[in-house]
Amino acid sequence: MRIFSLPILAALLAPALAWSAPNPRLVLPEFSGLAQKANESVNITLDPALLALAGRFLDADDPNDAAAKEVIKGLQGIYVRSYTFDHDFAYQQSDIDAVRKQLAAPGWNRLMQTRSRKTHADVDIYIMLDNNKAIGLALIASEARQFTIVNIIGAIDLDKLHKLEGQFGVPKFDIDTAVPPATAPQAVVPPARTPPK
Amino acid sequence: MSHDIESKLRTALRPVTPSDEFTQRLVAQITAQGAASAAARRRPLAGARRYGWWVSAGLAASLVIAIGVQRHIQEDRDRENGAEARREVVEALRMTSQKLDLAYEAVKSQSPEAGAEQPRA
Amino acid sequence: MTIGWTTAHVPTLNEAPQIFLEEQLARARSGEPAALKSLIQAHRRLVYSLALRMLGTRDLAEDLTQDVFMQLHAKLKTIESPGHLTFWLRKVTTHRAIDQLRRRTRVPMTSLQDEHEGSAVEDGGDPLWQRHLRLLLLDLAAPARAVVLLRFQEDLDPGDIARTLGMSVNTVKSHLKRSLETLRQRTIRP
Repeated sequence: MRIFSLPILAALLAPALAWSAPNPRLVLPEFSGLAQKANESVNITLDPALLALAGRFLDADDPNDAAAKEVIKGLQGIYVRSYTFDHDFAYQQSDIDAVRKQLAAPGWNRLMQTRSRKTHADVDIYIMLDNNKAIGLALIASEARQFTIVNIIGAIDLDKLHKLEGQFGVPKFDIDTAVPPATAPQAVVPPARTPPK
Repeated sequence: MSHDIESKLRTALRPVTPSDEFTQRLVAQITAQGAASAAARRRPLAGARRYGWWVSAGLAASLVIAIGVQRHIQEDRDRENGAEARREVVEALRMTSQKLDLAYEAVKSQSPEAGAEQPRA
Repeated sequence: MTIGWTTAHVPTLNEAPQIFLEEQLARARSGEPAALKSLIQAHRRLVYSLALRMLGTRDLAEDLTQDVFMQLHAKLKTIESPGHLTFWLRKVTTHRAIDQLRRRTRVPMTSLQDEHEGSAVEDGGDPLWQRHLRLLLLDLAAPARAVVLLRFQEDLDPGDIARTLGMSVNTVKSHLKRSLETLRQRTIRP
């Protein structure tokens, strides 16, 4: 019986035994069915090349741009999918499940899970660590009339990111002025003469 | 204050007139029931061979100009793409920050300190 | 009234009396090219302005304007009245612009040239500030942008905006409220 030498055996088994580096990039579905139903949709895909290009156009002398430039330094990708609907719960949780499944994979750690009955907003934040360094972030925000998925690849500073909101001239999200839970929408009174299409 | 932004919007959004040149092109296109908009902007070269060497020179000059224009267009596109990428970065970071705020607000409202901050009746 | 192809002879929408437009519409429906030209001349500002403020550049606005009027030409026999025509043009222009923006994730920046082209009567206001406001408008999502344009450029009330865009009145009001707040905040920041 031939016995394989240890080096040869190691070489054969190496691919199986190799430490597979965690991949913070999520596979985001097309959501084309939801895009049709949505009132508004946001689809942002920024790979390393586009991030570098954006970095050249962010003005270091402008405080807002400089802050954004600081945040994206060291990032390799930003991916956002967001859909806003006309009425509450127009989307199913199962629509987002394909993404949640990926976050159950090894490497992802749930940093925060919040549920708000007042605003019907659920936010899950996951972070991927590699050698104790953050290499990716995933955020799923499910609100009554909107869901948003954000996937950021690279070293991300959550504090710097959180502080950005005020700097972009957008008021901090005021939960008291959020779209209220759906009541029956007012019927649109048709005009006396409806123009044909 | 609300009136202010509304009146400013009305002023800023007064209708603008497209150029007469565009309008005439538009009408020509429609009345001729022409082809797609891209074809409508092209001017075909016709009968160049009949006009001899100066047409070739003219064509060469046009080519040089076209390359220059193309480069200019490409630079414009690069600038546009860069500006678009910048806008997308800003929008992506703004949305992420907004959702983080949602989470932090929820956490704050559930914390023991939140209970202590309730105003007394 | 003479129908000619010079700007001096063909009145704009605000000037043309109802009867003239009804007459032009009837003639255009029966295939008279000059009448079609009159209708285009009378409505080009409406369509082009909506297209420009939705899409952000002159090239895209011209393409969309052309598409809209081509479609109008094909559908002319279904247009019943001048009021219907205006409704139809606003509806088709905004819907097509929104569709285009949905297919495209990036909104082009306007160039200074786009904003100065064929500008409206000067009112003594600050043109740079007005341009800034129009650029901020491009940061709004497409449906919200359309609502703001129909309200402040076309002076429609929420009910008419809702019919034009196929939204509920509540959604229109919500878009208006949020958009105005956003624009207000972004314009008071130093």
